[in-house]
Amino acid sequence: MSLLQEEREIILGNEYVDNFDFAEVEEFVKNASKDLFISHHFKTKNKMLVQPRGGFPTYKKQFALNEFFVEANVDVLPLTIDSNTRLNDYATAKKMLRLSEENEVDMLNGYPLVNHGYRNTRKMVTHFNKPVSLRHGTPDARLLIETAIASGIFEIEGGPITYLLPYSKNFPLDKAFLYWKYVEKVCANYSLLNEPINRESFGPLTATLVPPAITIVIQLLEMLLSLEEGVKSFSVSFSQTGSMNQDIVMGAVIKKLAKHYAEQINCGDASINLVYHQWMGAFPTNKDFAEQLINMSTVIASMVGANKIITKTREEASGIPTKEANAKTVANTQYTLGILNGLPNIVDKEEEEIMTLEVHAIMEAVFNDPADTLWRKVFNSIKNGIIDVPFSPHIINHSEMITIRDAKKNIRIIKRGNVPIPDRCFEYEKAQCDLTKDTTSIVNDIIHDIGIMQ
Amino acid sequence: MKVVTGVVGNDIHVVANRLIELSLHARGFEVFNLGVNTYLEEFFDAVVETGADILLISSLNGEAEGWSREIKLLKSKYKNLENLVMVIGGNLVVGSADADTIVPKYKNYGFDLVFHQVDLSTGLDTLEEFLKERNK
Repeated sequence: MSLLQEEREIILGNEYVDNFDFAEVEEFVKNASKDLFISHHFKTKNKMLVQPRGGFPTYKKQFALNEFFVEANVDVLPLTIDSNTRLNDYATAKKMLRLSEENEVDMLNGYPLVNHGYRNTRKMVTHFNKPVSLRHGTPDARLLIETAIASGIFEIEGGPITYLLPYSKNFPLDKAFLYWKYVEKVCANYSLLNEPINRESFGPLTATLVPPAITIVIQLLEMLLSLEEGVKSFSVSFSQTGSMNQDIVMGAVIKKLAKHYAEQINCGDASINLVYHQWMGAFPTNKDFAEQLINMSTVIASMVGANKIITKTREEASGIPTKEANAKTVANTQYTLGILNGLPNIVDKEEEEIMTLEVHAIMEAVFNDPADTLWRKVFNSIKNGIIDVPFSPHIINHSEMITIRDAKKNIRIIKRGNVPIPDRCFEYEKAQCDLTKDTTSIVNDIIHDIGIMQ
Repeated sequence: MKVVTGVVGNDIHVVANRLIELSLHARGFEVFNLGVNTYLEEFFDAVVETGADILLISSLNGEAEGWSREIKLLKSKYKNLENLVMVIGGNLVVGSADADTIVPKYKNYGFDLVFHQVDLSTGLDTLEEFLKERNK
């Protein structure tokens, strides 16, 4: 028996798993409907796929939410996992699920997939026969991903960097890399049986003034870590920055460089897609304004040329949205996409060149780390600040880089820290900003920036 | 002067924490930032370890009150903390309450300065004045 299979049996021998039948699951994936694979839709559909967010604790409520989404002409169903499961606390998730079922009050902020089990969840997934995307935020997602794929969920979001640096203070990063390596291998192996399992990275990160070069580098690295394990379908992603031009430039650069770096490791055969997140920062409390913001995000996603858009709702500012509000965004977004025709082709050569140079310089520094494997190189690069994510709560993150917005609301780097931004690019970035400001007014600008869309 | 700062409890509001660090640094303080999700013992250990003059605790999700009740007891277990300036700021209650009731309560918990929903630069101005008065 291979080491991986031994590890799988240990993971699936968990007391919260009801007899995992490896052979049956393999048979299921082999014969599963192509419609369940988002990788198949990316290949065959000539439109931007629309995916909302959403997860309720009980099977019944999740089923009802999916009915609303299907009614609203959804392309991809989400399955958002509760925070106890994300922290591998299945005991609490189990208790809270029972309370939710008995009292009609939601005691969890998502669907506790491990507790529901794959046999039940698969019934729901195959009933709707739409691709489902797993949204979680779990550093150790081994059991969750096994359960997801066995349920017919063939898109897995996350990664060792993007699910750790924005969410955790001290979960060990090296462990996260190893746990995600397991996930990649399992996804790669199942991909041999039918259409490929799609992996998606979480580009928004902290959603607070993250400069494009950092986002792109992290997207590319998680893509490479995934492809090198044999994954054949991968989505890079980012969220609306606040500047339409910067979004468009970012889309162009990330598409170009994802292809370039995939080819560098002889994985040019993998299919790479681009996912765009509608505004991930603070939303207006005025629900009509929220709809305007969502609509604008859809327009920008079209300009960016995204393959999938992930939507927000008019109730974003007030908590977990109702199924009605959630489905309304899906219908509205599909409507906007349907009438958006004759989009202009905008190219900003100078910005593209600067962004490309920055990404190459950081990638080169990561590759030049003396460690023997890519994940160790990436680990070391985060540890020594070559990769620095603004506003990450994690203790390993350097938090030396400072970014602000210029007059056109582009995110600019005014302090590099240890990130090897080339001098020419750094001068360009600073030249767009008012550098006469003292720290107090920069801090006030950042505070103001958090509410920029409100 | 040395300041230890951080966000108390299971609170992950990192943006405010980072801005406090930047602002203190700009005002010439030597800053030891323990970041988010920090427990009371860690704050006092860091004060002893760094020989800090000021402890600035921030809290945004309303957890501060639960933690603050334990401060006097915990502080009494440490030696030589009599001269430590204790500051707390942020959103100090769950729900809403006005500063007139909150400030005396927190002073009673052992804080010298209490900022409930006060903006950052006003709070730090007040801290600097307080230090000036004290060192006269």
